[in-house]
Amino acid sequence: MFLASKELWFSKRRFLLIGFIIVMISWLVFVLSGLGNGLADLGTAVIRNSEMALAVFEKEADFSLSKSTLPESLIDDITELEGVEEVAAITQAIGSISQDSVDTEENGKKTSVIFLGIEEGSFLEPEVVLGEGLKSDRPYQVIVDSSLLNEGFALGDTVTVNSIGLELEISGFADTQTLNHLPAVYVPMETIRELKYVVPGSDMGIKDPISAVFIKGNIDRDMISSTIDGVEVADKKETLNGIPGYAAESGTISLMLWLLIFISAFVIAVFFYVLTTQKVKQFGVLKAIGASNSFVIKTVVGQVFLLSTISILIGIALTYLMTLVLPEGMPFNLQPEMVLIYSLVLLATSMIGSLFSVKSIIKIDPVTALGRAE
Amino acid sequence: MSGLVLKNVTKTYQEGAFKTVALQDLSLSVEHGEFIAIIGPSGSGKSTFLSIAGALLKATSGQVLIDNVDLASLSERELSNIRLDKIGFILQTSNLLPYLTVEDQLLVVKKMGGSIKTEDRVLAKELLNDIGLGDKLNKYPHQLSGGERQRTAIARAFMNNPSIILADEPTANLDTKRAREVVSLISLEVKARNKAAIMVTHDERMLSYCDRVYRIEDGVLSLEK
Repeated sequence: MFLASKELWFSKRRFLLIGFIIVMISWLVFVLSGLGNGLADLGTAVIRNSEMALAVFEKEADFSLSKSTLPESLIDDITELEGVEEVAAITQAIGSISQDSVDTEENGKKTSVIFLGIEEGSFLEPEVVLGEGLKSDRPYQVIVDSSLLNEGFALGDTVTVNSIGLELEISGFADTQTLNHLPAVYVPMETIRELKYVVPGSDMGIKDPISAVFIKGNIDRDMISSTIDGVEVADKKETLNGIPGYAAESGTISLMLWLLIFISAFVIAVFFYVLTTQKVKQFGVLKAIGASNSFVIKTVVGQVFLLSTISILIGIALTYLMTLVLPEGMPFNLQPEMVLIYSLVLLATSMIGSLFSVKSIIKIDPVTALGRAE
Repeated sequence: MSGLVLKNVTKTYQEGAFKTVALQDLSLSVEHGEFIAIIGPSGSGKSTFLSIAGALLKATSGQVLIDNVDLASLSERELSNIRLDKIGFILQTSNLLPYLTVEDQLLVVKKMGGSIKTEDRVLAKELLNDIGLGDKLNKYPHQLSGGERQRTAIARAFMNNPSIILADEPTANLDTKRAREVVSLISLEVKARNKAAIMVTHDERMLSYCDRVYRIEDGVLSLEK
């Protein structure tokens, strides 16, 4: 580090340029990661942020809430299984609501939402940031995603479910409650049946139908599918992948991210390789006056380490600064653990890149320091 | 016997079908406190001689002993340790690292062997005072004159308290006045610190400072005076 840091300081301008490139690359990585995460939230937040470990779906439903229908009586069977801590039924229905009781500009405007039927007090009920939660004696009070605040909805508003005219009252708002890119409206289980199974026979003859059962606890998934007929069990990852579009979305973003990281490793490697070849003469002198290969290698790798670490830290700072000026509607969610992981990956790839120079350092012959110099 | 001893050293280079003899049956011994010069035209084998004496190159045959240690038996790593502990190189045009201050040029030698201690800083200051650079500790090479750079290189060569000092054309690119200063300084330090020193040069103005002068021609060494 002795030589590494002194040279960084001496050749500030040259290293500033290389550092600037690493800053830009890490900035891009973090921004992309935050955007990807925000987009994933939009598609999956309800499931991603829940504490569920396993989900039970109808057989052949491809782990999809919209395709699956199960009888509510299943809950009792699952609760009895070993290792189950908590169970919660969930029913999903897509529809739209409109605000019609108040005489405002928004009057009559329809907003697409996803209705989620849950039992009040179950672990799927979100924490409200405004208002209050579901109450068993008030079946038409609902919790909605706080993004609806920006759409002009307010606490205590009465909204009408379009097409059937059912009236609901907004009793609470909760943060990041989205699914299938739609804001969620949490309604009590009894109420969602009124709006989902309007057409006779649409419940396929199942008494008290629900979409799926989410389970908390440490359970053997094979045991569930073997004791209960007609179901299939998914873990959290499979449930997420069952959400339409999620796998494709997150796949695209992570492909971009990893390509970016791979390319940046290559760029950094080339930079340091060129720098090393320019310094062959200097390293020859160092070796002639007694530096071992490991001393020279440590100097080069240490320099990459210093430069990358500083640059990545600046990249992180830039990213957080940028979140302050992002437009409201842009889905951006940067998780500290993701920042940490990508930082380490970027650092590791640039270190590996710098190892390309090692071979050429070992090959440098100290005899080059003698004779006609410079 | 201590210092540097070369016994019947021969070095040949194989270039395709041709065999070039760079050094032929060369024997030489330099005691501590002696300062000798080797002169010769370019291509005579001076650089090869210096590389072999400086543990940078292995002889084809013959023995090279530094403080009674035979270099032929050592590994690459042990050779770099010998260079670090036993040999002080004064290189042509000084070859300082552009990004280190005068003081750091000396301290880096200690850093190669581990860490820099307080007494190393004291020694570095003492050496630089000796050679008259005491007030330029924090200057970078580009802020020094050619003579000052060469003097820094001399101080660097003494920093690891080596057994032998090897100087490769230390007066190249210097005018007569500066060249005399530099060589008398080497001579002074060699005597004061009791080192075995060899200077390779083609600058015959400087020979008066040396105890013995050898001439090398086509790889053959002979005593000149």
